[in-house]
Amino acid sequence: MITYFVSLALLAVIYGIAAIGLNILVGSAGIFSLAHAVFFGVGAYAAALMAIHVTPDILVCCGAAIGVTAVLSLCLAFPALRVRGEYFVVASLGLQMVAATVFNEAQGVTGGYGGLAGIPAPTIFGTFSLGTPTRLLLTSLGILLLGLGVVLAFMRHSFGRALGAIRDSEIAARAIGKNVELLKTTAVVLGCTYAGVAGALFAFDIAFINPESFTLDQSGLILTMVVLGGAGTLLGPLVGAVILTLLPALLTFLPMVPPTEIGTLQQFIYGLTMVLLMIFRPAGLVGRRSARR
Amino acid sequence: MMVHNPLSVENLTKRFGGMTAVENVSLELRPGIVTGLVGPNGAGKTTLFNLITGNLPADGGVVHINGRQATGLAPHVIARLGVARSFQDLRLFGGLTVRDNVLAATENSSWPWQGGGSRAARERQQATDAAIERVGLTHVAKIQASDISYAEAKFLSLARILATGAKIWLLDEPASGLDPSSSQRFVRLLKDATAQGVTICLIEHNLDLMKATADRLAFLEQGRLLALGSVDEILRDQELVAIYFGDKSNAA
Amino acid sequence: MLVIQIIIAGLQTGLLYALMGAGFSLIFGATRVFHAAHGATFVVSGYAFVTCLKLGLPLWIGALAAMLFAVAFGLLLNALVYRPIQRDRGSFFTVFVAAFGSVIVVQSAMEFFFGREPQTVGSSMTRSVEVLPHLFVAPIFPIILVIAVISLGAVASFLRWTSVGLSLRALSDSPSLVEAFGLDPKKASNLAFGIGSALAAPPAILIAMTNGINPAAGAHVMLISLASTIVGGIGSLVGAVAGGILLGLAENGAIAVFDTQWSEAAGFVVLFAFIIIRPSGIFGARITR
Repeated sequence: MITYFVSLALLAVIYGIAAIGLNILVGSAGIFSLAHAVFFGVGAYAAALMAIHVTPDILVCCGAAIGVTAVLSLCLAFPALRVRGEYFVVASLGLQMVAATVFNEAQGVTGGYGGLAGIPAPTIFGTFSLGTPTRLLLTSLGILLLGLGVVLAFMRHSFGRALGAIRDSEIAARAIGKNVELLKTTAVVLGCTYAGVAGALFAFDIAFINPESFTLDQSGLILTMVVLGGAGTLLGPLVGAVILTLLPALLTFLPMVPPTEIGTLQQFIYGLTMVLLMIFRPAGLVGRRSARR
Repeated sequence: MMVHNPLSVENLTKRFGGMTAVENVSLELRPGIVTGLVGPNGAGKTTLFNLITGNLPADGGVVHINGRQATGLAPHVIARLGVARSFQDLRLFGGLTVRDNVLAATENSSWPWQGGGSRAARERQQATDAAIERVGLTHVAKIQASDISYAEAKFLSLARILATGAKIWLLDEPASGLDPSSSQRFVRLLKDATAQGVTICLIEHNLDLMKATADRLAFLEQGRLLALGSVDEILRDQELVAIYFGDKSNAA
Repeated sequence: MLVIQIIIAGLQTGLLYALMGAGFSLIFGATRVFHAAHGATFVVSGYAFVTCLKLGLPLWIGALAAMLFAVAFGLLLNALVYRPIQRDRGSFFTVFVAAFGSVIVVQSAMEFFFGREPQTVGSSMTRSVEVLPHLFVAPIFPIILVIAVISLGAVASFLRWTSVGLSLRALSDSPSLVEAFGLDPKKASNLAFGIGSALAAPPAILIAMTNGINPAAGAHVMLISLASTIVGGIGSLVGAVAGGILLGLAENGAIAVFDTQWSEAAGFVVLFAFIIIRPSGIFGARITR
C-alpha cells in the first residue's frame, strides 16, 4: 500500500517538474507550447539509452537528458522567435505531431512502437542504487526543489522582469536594450530541459518507455496542470500536477465506472476542467482572483 | 580632437510599396539641445524614428551614433549605444509594477543574470528609485502599470528612459494629452535633462509645448525635410504654417 | 499517371481541409476568436449524420441533421464558452485553452457513446473505379468537388453581394468599428459562427462516407485546418482554400514517396516551413509583431 502511494507521489513529482518547465514557457514568457511532451520524451529516451548502453548513473543520465533536450529545444525556439500567440501554438502542435511520428518510426534509436524496455535502475556515485521507489522519490524531490530554486532565482529577478516586458511589448522591450531573441531562446531551452529531466526520471520510474507516453494527450495534460494550478505562479504547476496525478487514481475507486472507461472519463474531466476554469477562474487555483491575462 | 554629433542621419530613405515615407532626410542632433520634429500627420516623423532605432530597415542613407555607423543595427543594440525612445502609444509593461518597469530598463544583460555583483545591483536599485522620484511617481511605485492614470503613464515612460541612462532621447508625443500643470512639469524635466547634456529629438503636435521646449525645429512633409532652423524662424514662415495646418491652396 | 493520381487524391482531401479551413478563417476573421474547437463541430456533425443513417433515415435527412448540429454546436460554443470569456477580457490564452478543453470534452463524450472505432456509412460511391489505366477515382470525388465549389461559392457570394456579408468583411478588417456601423456585435458573431460552422458539415458527411468518423478525427482535421489557414494566410478565405489544397496534396504526396505513417507529418512539415519562412502565408497580410 505504501509502495502504491510512493509511486503515485513519484509520478506527481515527475509531472510537477515538467509542469514547472511548461510554466516558464507559458506563464512567464507567454510562449504557448503544446509540444512539451516531445521534450519529456526526448529526455526519457536520452536517459534510457544512456542507462542501457553506458551507465545508469543518475547524474550522467540526467545530464544526457538535459543536453539532448537543450539542443533539440532550439527546434521550438526557432518558431518562437518568428511568430507568437496563435501562430506559435499551431507550430508547436505541428512539432508535437511530427515528433510523435518520429518516435514511432525511428526504430534504431527509440525502438519504434515497441519502445525501450529493460531500463536499469539508476545509481549514484558508482554503486549506490536509487532503484527503490522511495529512493527515487527522494531523489526526484531533491531535483524538484533544485528546479524550484532555479525558477525563483531567475523569475523573481531580472529574467522574470525581462520576460514580462517582452510579453507586454516586444518593441518597447527592445527599446530598453533587451535582446528578445536571446531571452526567448533562453526561456524555451530552460523550460524544455525541465521536461527532459522529468522524462529521465520517468524512464527510471517505469523502466520501460514507448511513444504512447509522449503524445498530444500528455502535452495537453501538462498544460492542464499549469492552467489548473495557475500559469505564472510559482506553486501553481505543482498544485495542478498533484491534483491531476491523483485524479486517475481516485477514479479507479469509483464503483460505477468500468475500468475501460476510466481513460475516457479522465479526458472528459480534463477538458471540462479547462473550459470551466477559463470561464470562471482563468488565473487558476493559486493565481490572483482578478488576474489580467 | 573631433567631437562627434551624438546622432546624425544622412540621406535616409524609406519606401513602402509605391509610396516614399521618408525621402533623403539629412539631420544632425546637437548635444544638449532639443530638436523638435514637426509636420502634418503622415509626414514621416515616426517612420524616421523607426529608421534610426532599427525598427525599420532603411532603403538608403546612413545613421551615425556618436560617430559610429549605426545603420541597420538591431533595436536593442541601438538602445545599448545610448539611444532611448518613447512611443506614441506608450507601450508600457502593463503586467509589471511601475517600479519593475523602470528597474527593467536598468538591467542591461539579456542573460538570466546581471553582471557586476551586489554593488551594481544596489546601484541599479538606486537609479530606479531616483528616476521614479524625479518624475514624481514614488506614490504609485508598487502599483501595476496597467492600473495607473494616463498622466502617470506618460511620466512612467519618461522614467523608463531616465533609468536607461541614455544620452540621446527620441520622444514621440511624450506629453500629448497632459493637463497644463503636468505639461509644465514635463517640460521642466526635459529642460533639466538637456542641461545635463542629454540630446533630445522631440515629436510633438502641441505647438505651445514645442515652443516651450525646443531650441530648433525640423519641418517634415511627405517624407522630406523642408526646413530646419530656430523655432521662431520656422513658426513665422507662412508657407510652412499653411502646410502644417493643411491649407492646400498655399502648399507647393 | 501516378502524379495525376496523387493530385486527385490530394484534391479530394485538400478540398475537405479547405472547407474546414474556410469555416475557421471566416469565424476568426469576423470575431477574432481563435475557434480551435472547430474540429469538435466537425465531429458532432459527422456523428449526427452517421446516427441518422444508422437509424435508417434517408440521406438528405442525415445531411440536414449534420448541418443543423454543426450550426447549433458552433452557436452553443460561442454562447456558453467564448462569449463569457470575452466578457471578462479574455486573452488569447484563455480562449485557446477553453477551446482545447471543449475539443477534449467532445472527443471523450463521443468516445463514451460511440466507441473509438471509426463509424462509417460507406456506399458504392466511395469505391474507386479505374477510369483510365492506373488511374483510380471514386465517384465521390466529383461530388466532393461540386459540393466544395458550391459551398465556397455560396459563402463567397454571400460575403460579397449581401449587405450582411459586407458587414462581416468590414468586421474582420476593423473589429472596433462594429458598433459604429450600426451592427449588433452579438448578431454579427453569431452569423459568423453559424456560417463558419455550417461549412464543417459537408466535410463531416464526406469523411463519414469515406474513412469514417471517429472521436479523434476532430483533432486531426482541426490541426490541418489551422495549418491551412496559416499556410494560406489568416484572414484570407481564398488563402484557407489554397492552404487546404496544398496540405492535402502534401499529405498524399508523402504517402506516395514515403511511408503512410509520414503522411500526417508531411502537412505539419509544410506548416512549419511556412511559419519559419513566411508566417503571413500565401495570401495573408504582413504580420506585425
